[in-house]
Amino acid sequence: MKILRILSAITVLALVVGLVVSCGPQATPAPAEEPAEEPAEEPAEEPVEEPAEEPAGEQMLRVTFSWPTYIDPAVGSDYSSSASLCNLYDTLVFPTTEGGVEPHVAETWDVSDDGLTWTFHLKQGIKFHNGSELTASDVAFSMNRMLEIGEGYAYVFLGTVESATALDDYTVQFNLAKPSGIFLISLVRLYIADEEQVMENVSTPGPYGDKGDYGKEWLLTHDAGSGPYMVKEFPLEEYLLMEKYDDWFGTFHPDAPDELKFIGTTEPATVRTLISRGELEITDQWQPVEALEALQEIEGVDVAAFPVLTEFYYMMHTKKPPLDDIHFRRAMAYAFDYEAAVDLEWPGTQQSRGPVPIITAGHNPDVFVFQRDLDKAREELAQSEYADQLDQYPVEVHWITDVPAEEKWALLFQANMAEVGIDVEVVGTPWTAVVEETADIETSPHIVTIYVSADFPEAGSLLKVRYHSDAAPTWSQNEWLLDDELDQMIDDSLTTVDEDDRYAKYRDLQDYIMDLCPSLFLYDQVQKHAYQAAYLDWPAARGEVIPLMGLVFYAPRIGVAGP
Amino acid sequence: MRFITFILRRALHSIFVLLGLSIVIFIIARIMPGNPARMAVGPRAPQYVIDELSRQMHLDEPLHVQYYFWLRDALHGDFGISLVTRRPVADDIKEFFPATLELTIFAGLIMAGGGIFLGILSARHKDEWIDNVLRVVSYLGVVTPSFIFAIFFLLLFGMTLNWMPTIGRLSPGVSPPPTITGLITVDSLLTGNLNTFLDALWHLVLPGVALAMGGLAQDSRITRSTMSDNLTKDYVASARSLGIPERVIMRKFLLKPSLIPTVSILGLDFAGTMSNAFLVETIFNWPGSSRYGINTMLRKDLNAIAGVVLTMGVVFIVVNIVVDIVVGLLDPRIRLAPQRGE
Repeated sequence: MKILRILSAITVLALVVGLVVSCGPQATPAPAEEPAEEPAEEPAEEPVEEPAEEPAGEQMLRVTFSWPTYIDPAVGSDYSSSASLCNLYDTLVFPTTEGGVEPHVAETWDVSDDGLTWTFHLKQGIKFHNGSELTASDVAFSMNRMLEIGEGYAYVFLGTVESATALDDYTVQFNLAKPSGIFLISLVRLYIADEEQVMENVSTPGPYGDKGDYGKEWLLTHDAGSGPYMVKEFPLEEYLLMEKYDDWFGTFHPDAPDELKFIGTTEPATVRTLISRGELEITDQWQPVEALEALQEIEGVDVAAFPVLTEFYYMMHTKKPPLDDIHFRRAMAYAFDYEAAVDLEWPGTQQSRGPVPIITAGHNPDVFVFQRDLDKAREELAQSEYADQLDQYPVEVHWITDVPAEEKWALLFQANMAEVGIDVEVVGTPWTAVVEETADIETSPHIVTIYVSADFPEAGSLLKVRYHSDAAPTWSQNEWLLDDELDQMIDDSLTTVDEDDRYAKYRDLQDYIMDLCPSLFLYDQVQKHAYQAAYLDWPAARGEVIPLMGLVFYAPRIGVAGP
Repeated sequence: MRFITFILRRALHSIFVLLGLSIVIFIIARIMPGNPARMAVGPRAPQYVIDELSRQMHLDEPLHVQYYFWLRDALHGDFGISLVTRRPVADDIKEFFPATLELTIFAGLIMAGGGIFLGILSARHKDEWIDNVLRVVSYLGVVTPSFIFAIFFLLLFGMTLNWMPTIGRLSPGVSPPPTITGLITVDSLLTGNLNTFLDALWHLVLPGVALAMGGLAQDSRITRSTMSDNLTKDYVASARSLGIPERVIMRKFLLKPSLIPTVSILGLDFAGTMSNAFLVETIFNWPGSSRYGINTMLRKDLNAIAGVVLTMGVVFIVVNIVVDIVVGLLDPRIRLAPQRGE
C-alpha cells in the first residue's frame, strides 16, 4: 500500500511538472527556444546512425507540402502535384532559370510559317520506368489524353491545340487552332506518359467510353513516367515516396538523393520537430513568419527566400458601386500604405510594380506604380460621384480564411481607407466560398484578396488569367473588366510568335491596365522555406530558381551530402 | 431475455437514426457554399468539364432525386467517388478508418484504465493532498483541448527530449504487416511480428495519450465523485463493521456500482474522440478517417462527407449499445427490470 502511494505520488508529480514545463512559449522564439538548439545537434546525425531508416550510404530528401497530391499528369496542377510530376515525368522541353526553355525529350523542333504546326524531333533511347522506350506516340497520347480529360493543366492547351499526331517513332506534330507565342513554353506542363502502360491499366466502365476511366484510378498511386524518380510508396493521406531511376537519360547531381519523400503536413509544430531531429530537409512554403524565425534558430537550418511568379492582389469589382467609379478606385490606390504592407512580410519582399511580378519575362519596368499619397487620394475621391455619400457605400474586403495571415493586410487596408473617410468591412471568407462567389458578377464582393501565380514565366500567361473576359467568372479575376479592347490586346499578344514583339505588347498591356486601376498590386510574393543548409546543396537557396511552380524541388539538381 | 429484447430493439431503432442522419448531412452538405464539381476539377477547368462532372454526380437534379441516387448506391455499399482522393469513398474509409479506430481504442484504454485508477485513488484519499492535486490536474485535463496536449507532447518528447517518434504509424523502413483488421498492432500480433507490434505501439503513445487526456480527467472525476458518494452508503458501513478488509470493500462492493456513470461517459468519450481526433491526427500526420473527414468537408467533397458522417454515426450507435450491455452487466437492476408494458 505504501509503495502504491509513493508510486502514485511520483506519477502525479511527473504529470504536474510536465504540464508546467509545457506552459512555456512554443510558437514564438523565446529563451525557452534555446534548449531546443542543443539536442538539435544529435538528431541531425540520426539518418546516418539508424540504418533501419534507409540502406547504408543512401540519402533521402524530405519535403513537407500542403496535401493532397495528384500524380496523374492529366489531373494534378497544384503545388505538390507539380513538384511530384516534374520528378516522375519528362517533358519535351525544360524551363531554365532565365525564364526560357531548353531541349529535354525533344532534341529540335520546327514551326511552320503560319505558326500553326509545331514538329518535334525526339531523342532516341529514352526509357520509361518499366523499360519500354519513349516514342512520339506516347507524346501524342499524353496530349490527347490531357485534352480529353480536361483537368489539371489542360486549360493551358484547350482552345489552342487541335490535335497531336505521331508522324513516326521519333517525330510528333501538334496542330494549333491559332498561332501561340507561349505554346513552346507551355509544353513544360505536358508530362509524357507511357501510352501502353496507361491503357493496360484502365478500369471499365468509365466516363471516357471505350477508354474506360483512362487509367485515372491506377495513376492515382502509380506512375507511367520516364522521369528521374519513380513511385515507391504512396499512402494517400501521408506521403509520397519516390526512388531514383538509375536509367534516367538526364544527369544527376553527384549527391542527388536516392529517395525523395514528400510529406503531407504543414503543421508548424510538426514541421519544426521534424527538422530539428534531422528528419526533414526542406519545409513547405506555408510556415508563418514566426515559425520561420524559430526554425532559423536551429543550428544548421537556414531560410531560403526567393521571389516567385506570384503577386498579391486586391481585386476590385469594377462593376459594383462605388468601385465602378475609377476615381474611387484610384483614391484607394493612393491611400493604401504599400510600405507597411511589405513590412508585414518576410525581408526581401518588394512592392509590386504593375500587374505582373517584376521577375516575369515581359514585365514593364517603366509601368506607373501607385505610392501612398493621402492628398492625391482625397483629390481623386473628391472627383468621384460617391464623394458625398461615402457613408452609404461601405466597401467589403473578403480575405481568405484558409490563409490566416491575410487578415493582417485586410486590417491595414481598413485603417488606411478610414484615413480618407472610406468605410471598409473586413470579412473572412473560406476558399470554397470565394471560388463560388467570384463565379457570378452579382455575388462577387467589392474586393477579394488573392495570391495569383503565373503558369509560365511570361507576362502574357498571367495577364490572361487575370484580366481577360474568359477568366472573369473564376477566382483569378474579381475585377469583371469585360473590356473588349483589352481582350483583343491580350489575344493578340499571345498569338505573336516573335518574342520581342510579344514582350512589347505585354508592356503596352500593363500600361493599359494601370490606367484602368482595376486592382491594388500589393507585393510580389517571396517564397520561403527553412532548409538544412548544413548538408543540402539546393540551387533555389543560391538564387538559381526555375520560375515555375514546383520546379524548385526538381531533385536531380539537389545535393544531399548527409549531416 | 428482456435485456436481449431491449438490445435488439435499440439496434432496430438505430436504423432509423442512421436514415435521419443521412438526410440531415445530405442536406447540410449541399447547402454549404461552393460547387463541388468546380472544386474537384480545379477552378481553371473549362465549363464543360465541370458540367459533365456535375451531371455524373446528379448535381443538376433536384435534391430529393440526388438523395434517391445516393441512398440506392449506399445500400449497396457504394458511397460514390471522393472528389479529394479521386477513388471510391468506401476504399478511403476502409483504409483510413482502422487507423483512427486503433488510435481511439488505445486512447480509450488509457481513458478507462487511467481514469478509473486515478478516480479510485482520489476517492480513497478524499480531501487529502493527493485528491487535491489530482483535482487540479483533472481540471487542467478537462479544459485543455487535445490538440494542445498533442503539440506539447510533440515538442517535449519528440523535439526537446527526442524520445518518441513524431509522425505516422510506423518508422521508416518498417514494413506494415499483412492487412487483416487494418489495426497494425493487432495484425502484427496475429502474424507473429513482434518488432512491428512494438514499433506501432510506440507510435501510438503520443497521439493516443494526447487524445485520452480530456476523457481521462473527466472519467477520474466522475469515478471519484460516484465512489465518494457510495462510500457513505449503509452497506459499506455494514461491510466495514463485519471486518471485511478495505481493499476488498473497494474492489468487490464499491467498484461495480461506482463504474456505471463512468462507463456511460466513457462510451460517449470514445465515440467523441473518434470523430474529434482530426487535429491530433493532423499534428502527428496520422492517416485517419477523422482528418480525412475534415479535409473532405473543407473541400465540399459531398460523397466523402456523407460516408464519413454515417460511419461515425454507426460508431456512436454501436458504442452506445455496448455501453448499455456493459452497464447492464454491472447493474443487475437494469437488465432484470421489467420493460415498459409488462
